[in-house]
Amino acid sequence: QSLEDCPLDEDEDAFQALGEEDEDIDQFNDDTFGAGAVDDDWQEAHERLAELEDKPAAARREQDGPGGEDSDLLGEPEDTLAERLTRLVIDSELEDPAIMRAVQTRLPAQQPGGLNSSIWDSSAVLRRIRGPLLAQDMPSVSVLDYALPQRPPQAREEERDPSERALPRRSSSPVIGSPPVRAVPIGTPPKQAAVPSFNQQILCPKPVHIRATLPQRYPPPYGERMSPNQLCNVPNSSLLGHPFPHSVSPVLTHLQRAQLLGGAQAGRMSPSQFARVSGLVGSPLPSVNPKLLQGRVGQMMSPASGFRAFFGAPPAPPPPSQPQHPPGPTSHLQSLRPQPQMFRPDTTHLHPQHRRLLHQRQQQNRNQHRSLNGSVGDRGGHRSSQQERKDPYANLMLQREKDWVSKIQMMQLQSTDPYLDDYYYQNYFQKLEKLAAAEEVQGDGPKKERTKLITPQVAKLEHTYKPVQFEGSLGKLTVSSVNNPRKMIDAVVTSRSEDDETKEKQVRDKRRQTLVTIEKTYSLLLDVEDYERRYLLSLEGERPALMGERKQKICDMYDNLRGKAPGQERPSDDHFMQIMCIRKGKRLVARILPFLSPEQAADVLMATARNLPFLIKKDAQDEVLPCLLRPFSHVLYHLPLGTVTSLVQQLTNLPQSATASAPTNLHLTAVLQNKFGLSLLYLVLSRGEELQSSDSNTELMQDNQW
Amino acid sequence: MNYMPGTASLIQDIDKKHLVLLRDGRTLIGYLRSIDQFANLVLHQTVERIHVGKKYGDIPRGIFVVRGENVVLLGEIDLERESDTPLQQVSIEEILEEQRVEQQAKQESEKLKAQALKERGLSVPRADTLDEY
Repeated sequence: QSLEDCPLDEDEDAFQALGEEDEDIDQFNDDTFGAGAVDDDWQEAHERLAELEDKPAAARREQDGPGGEDSDLLGEPEDTLAERLTRLVIDSELEDPAIMRAVQTRLPAQQPGGLNSSIWDSSAVLRRIRGPLLAQDMPSVSVLDYALPQRPPQAREEERDPSERALPRRSSSPVIGSPPVRAVPIGTPPKQAAVPSFNQQILCPKPVHIRATLPQRYPPPYGERMSPNQLCNVPNSSLLGHPFPHSVSPVLTHLQRAQLLGGAQAGRMSPSQFARVSGLVGSPLPSVNPKLLQGRVGQMMSPASGFRAFFGAPPAPPPPSQPQHPPGPTSHLQSLRPQPQMFRPDTTHLHPQHRRLLHQRQQQNRNQHRSLNGSVGDRGGHRSSQQERKDPYANLMLQREKDWVSKIQMMQLQSTDPYLDDYYYQNYFQKLEKLAAAEEVQGDGPKKERTKLITPQVAKLEHTYKPVQFEGSLGKLTVSSVNNPRKMIDAVVTSRSEDDETKEKQVRDKRRQTLVTIEKTYSLLLDVEDYERRYLLSLEGERPALMGERKQKICDMYDNLRGKAPGQERPSDDHFMQIMCIRKGKRLVARILPFLSPEQAADVLMATARNLPFLIKKDAQDEVLPCLLRPFSHVLYHLPLGTVTSLVQQLTNLPQSATASAPTNLHLTAVLQNKFGLSLLYLVLSRGEELQSSDSNTELMQDNQW
Repeated sequence: MNYMPGTASLIQDIDKKHLVLLRDGRTLIGYLRSIDQFANLVLHQTVERIHVGKKYGDIPRGIFVVRGENVVLLGEIDLERESDTPLQQVSIEEILEEQRVEQQAKQESEKLKAQALKERGLSVPRADTLDEY
């Protein structure tokens, strides 16, 4: 499915849903229109095209590709390729024959089809629009066409839709893998509006967005007054695709407000429509057809309703579910009908910007009258409303666009395991909640409602990425993309021989190896710390296995600390010392100590004590040794007297035979001069004292030693 | 309407006056009109404010579209308290002159420093050559 390869990851979900819609649409079209009518029209169109053969070659060549082919357009490899490109990027489409069918039939029957066929439009993509069908009876929208300005308008008028449905021939050869030139970049927010289901008003014509005044491509020949239905069906009415501002926001606006705004919307619509109609401005961009809008409504509702839940707000009456497209559009269609009464055709030709400002002011006035004075009746609310009144540029970013950005941000927060992906955030909020709970228990103050962000939890989906393949191309074309990067460099690991290395390098390597060991041990530590949580979450049967894993990891950690060679004597503390020289290593040891068995912990302690002066010297810059104090004291608490005694010995470096007093002093001096050493010595001594005094069964030898 | 509580989202900041500090050191003040998922900003009625010492000067710039990656930080300006600042506003020419003078002084001191270090046989440590942590 080319749908999945769409580079627009954030819209992927929407696109996939669209893909499903496509199939629905196709079937629908087939049933409605049948194959027979199509062929006739096709032939008519072809005859007409044949007439065009007499026209100048230049004009013809542009239509030649789509129009001049005898047989199925899709037969041409280049066109297929180009079409696939468009399909890739635009992520659209019905098959062309279906589109054509939709176009050719009359309006009433066609509308549902048109709606359906247009539903698959995706957000933020160029839409091909049917030519100036304005001249004809209510052509339908559906077909997508590129907005190539060089298409001669008059030729378009004569061409029938089938000729346009294929991608026009590009003057340059299609660059494989690069998206076709589009006037509207991928990243723009969706142009369609989502109609809240509870809002029965139709958003048939879209509001003109004031900012861009675009030249109109095809001056429509129809008169000034059009029925809303007609307006809806105008494909290339050069209505700029900007979403409805406020009538659209399904999530959090008041029902009434939405409706009122929808009314304002409607009022706003018509003048803009007429402005367009009278050819005030043209549009180089293809505009999204209003029909597409409506069809799209159902689609857009789902993300909107989705993150309605995110805000924890009570959801409004849920919109109709997505896959049921035929009912969706038809309901809109029906609601289309009552539209005419709501339209107030306004023949005043305001400049688009003036019109917009005017309506904004009206709408803001309504806002002030209604919601702002209610709940947020404080000065702040008033002040902001006043400012809004003075600020003519407010709400340039439409509600829909805000929702769109919000949706993207929420999508980024989706995760299968929040504890893994977002550990700090989860912890932070847990702490906050605990604090809040504690406060509530203590005080009887007003309960502060803190809205919590509910992040969606998605099941893990395995997306196997298949690189895009072009059919009909010779050989395998490699398309390099984000998910499938091309290998640029062949990096080969060469191990160096020991002889060549200088002393410095060796030292550096050793240090690096120590760093690596620390990192590995750290990951083990994090896993071990996590076991408790997993333990709680897991089933009964799995728990022993978990415990076993945990034990194993602890052992591994200890081995790492002390240096490998588990079965042998460990004469040197060298490895351990290396680790302890590094700041992170010390912290690591402090965190590991609680997990070690008493013997192992004692071992660590001894090693530390033995080499304390050295460590102190090394720690001068980092000053991290004190962090070890706390775990050390815990360990000390559990040690028997014998160990404690030997510990003291280590600390003070008192040899068994009282010879060589000078070095002793040095050791002890260093220990005493350092804060950590001092505290450690104190702890050990006090512990020893405790043990000695409490335990009456101490052996004499131990006592003597002490 | 509470967009994404507990997170840092710019949606609530729209249509408010902001001060934006860019990576190249410029300070922009303008009304935040539009954002997108990359925190690209559209600033309206933007003013570039140059600060030198206790003085500052504003250069009106119009509409700015800032690419998100170039923003260091941004913050909302309280319109009521905007004017009580100990800083003194001066004209554009004056502030530009002050800035030039400041830049010159800084360059002079850097040169002297490098000279002094060279005399002692040392070199100024450059950030990119620090390999060891």
